[in-house]
Amino acid sequence: MITVFVEPDNETLTFKRHSTVLRLQEQMGLRVNDALVIRGDKLLTPDDRLNSGDLIRIRKVMSTG
Amino acid sequence: MKCRKCKAPAEVALPSHHTAFCRDCFQIFFTRQVEKAIRHHSLIKYGERVLVALSGGKDSLTLMLELSRLEYDVTGLHVDLGIPGSSPPARAKVEGFCERHGLKLHVVELTKHGLPIPDVKKYINRPVCSACGKIKRHWFNRVALEGGFQVLATGHNLDDEVARLFANTLRWDAGYLSDQGPCLEAENGFARKIKPLYRLTEFETACYAFLNGIEIHSAPCPYSGGASFTGHKELWANLEYTSPGTKIAFYDGFLERGQPAFAHVEKHTGTPLAPCEACGSPTSTGLCGVCRLKLAVAERRAADPDRQPDRQE
Repeated sequence: MITVFVEPDNETLTFKRHSTVLRLQEQMGLRVNDALVIRGDKLLTPDDRLNSGDLIRIRKVMSTG
Repeated sequence: MKCRKCKAPAEVALPSHHTAFCRDCFQIFFTRQVEKAIRHHSLIKYGERVLVALSGGKDSLTLMLELSRLEYDVTGLHVDLGIPGSSPPARAKVEGFCERHGLKLHVVELTKHGLPIPDVKKYINRPVCSACGKIKRHWFNRVALEGGFQVLATGHNLDDEVARLFANTLRWDAGYLSDQGPCLEAENGFARKIKPLYRLTEFETACYAFLNGIEIHSAPCPYSGGASFTGHKELWANLEYTSPGTKIAFYDGFLERGQPAFAHVEKHTGTPLAPCEACGSPTSTGLCGVCRLKLAVAERRAADPDRQPDRQE
């Protein structure tokens, strides 16, 4: 299971399994450059693999005013 | 995914450029895009003082940090909008950022000038985002001129610029299309306005902010719900996703082939400007738009039985 914290919505989601960042973004309805995908102090690219127990931060980048 | 330049593991994938970078090479890429914008459009000349508008968001703070690293003489300007729950944390981020990096900061408090945005929203019958934008631009220019700054820099990125160009094009607004671009030269009481991040997307400025440990104010403005800009950005994000590179091609094409034509037309039909009778800012009417807003807010606030008269400047 991976835990995903979504900013700026301040929403926490959990997913049972995901193979890659790209699959996670697709599942969340996000295009590749819609959000930063962060694990620890590193940015992830779409092909990076996600592991069970990962804590992922999704930081949406579109400013709305 | 590996960095195109050094083959280390990549942290930033950029489909629009068909590439990916590690964090060190991304920084170089980012700086080169800013330098290219400044050089190509003569945005900042040697020795000029630059006032940087700081909202507390990723774009403005990124711009401030990058220009200071390029050793330009920069000072931040934050306009405190007076919106409860929203303005204090934004201001705190800006103040903390400037303190951490040893950067100069000037703050304008709209409440002290009789125009807190909640009052504008309450008493003025027009879209609050439009009035707020007008007020902020007024203060950016006024502080720049009064403070002896030759240049006013804003953190508008490629997504902002494309969304604005698209909105102006939908209305065929020749006035706005005539002067949209990364550099608006100083004239008629306006400081030179520049947008050094215009070649970089929101995603790229967000990556820069994260990789440089910039703490940003990311909560959306409580008054900005339903802004048409957001819809336009969504539409362009879809276009970019299916055809990477479309945004910069659209914008660069406009700068090269569209903007000069609109500027030529506007030169013959534009309205002459004169100093505002109250504040001296350039205007095509006797009293500038912001001074008219200020008067209207003061009158309606005084007539509002729920409000005590506020202390004005």
